[in-house]
Amino acid sequence: MPRRAKNSGRRTQRTRRPQRHKDVLHRRGGHRRHDFRCVGCRLDVSLDAPGTTHRNHCPNCLVSLHVDRRVPGDRAAACRGRMEALSMSARPDGEWMIIHECQSCGELSANRIAGDDNALALVRLALKPLRDSSVAHRMLLRL
Amino acid sequence: MSSTDKTPSHTSRTPNTVLAGTFTCAWCGLTVSAATVDGTRRNHCPSCVHSQHVLDHVEGGPSDCRGRMSPISVAVLRTGDWMVIHRCVRCDELTSSPICADDNQLILMRMAVRPLAQPPFPLEAFGDL
Repeated sequence: MPRRAKNSGRRTQRTRRPQRHKDVLHRRGGHRRHDFRCVGCRLDVSLDAPGTTHRNHCPNCLVSLHVDRRVPGDRAAACRGRMEALSMSARPDGEWMIIHECQSCGELSANRIAGDDNALALVRLALKPLRDSSVAHRMLLRL
Repeated sequence: MSSTDKTPSHTSRTPNTVLAGTFTCAWCGLTVSAATVDGTRRNHCPSCVHSQHVLDHVEGGPSDCRGRMSPISVAVLRTGDWMVIHRCVRCDELTSSPICADDNQLILMRMAVRPLAQPPFPLEAFGDL
């Protein structure tokens, strides 16, 4: 065994060629320069989201960042606070919308869900009002 | 929240609601008293849970929009209390306000279960998780 290992090691040393030139850049300015890192779970997220034109929240933990003021995409807010998913709303056509609340200034915003959002996190958010059984039971009994 | 500390300026701006103690709902037309049974100030109609856009939450202070605000969602605080999320139909502003004891429970419950009526993915797989 030691002899074979010595032989094979010598062969790889002899046949090792210099590393090929990489024309794909992984650093800043490369092909992932539009990615952002989630402030909630530190996941690297690409900006192109299936189903929507603009990615505005992390698909894993649904946390967003307070960068827009009144118009979506205007990047006019100076707050830059972390926006956590507060509740789930449904449009009249049935599409789900996440209501985000800024943790530093209390601003609310409604965002469409994306195709690759964490389904478990979405359902947990939608079931939040019904999880606390005391309030929901009291309401159903009063109906 | 910003809605509670802005309440005095709002009440001073609209003296008719303070003097008469009532306001007319912008959606169902019901005349309701501005004070609840708890003594707090009411900011939405207890019958249809609609509100009116009189506070500007982005700039602060009173708003001149005065559009109707329809309820779109129910949020739960850490304390377990429910909040109603309103959206202005004119300028798409969002506000949240705590629910009152005499609010229409049918509308609140309908808003809470509304997303589950049309899920974007099949929910059967969650039984195995």
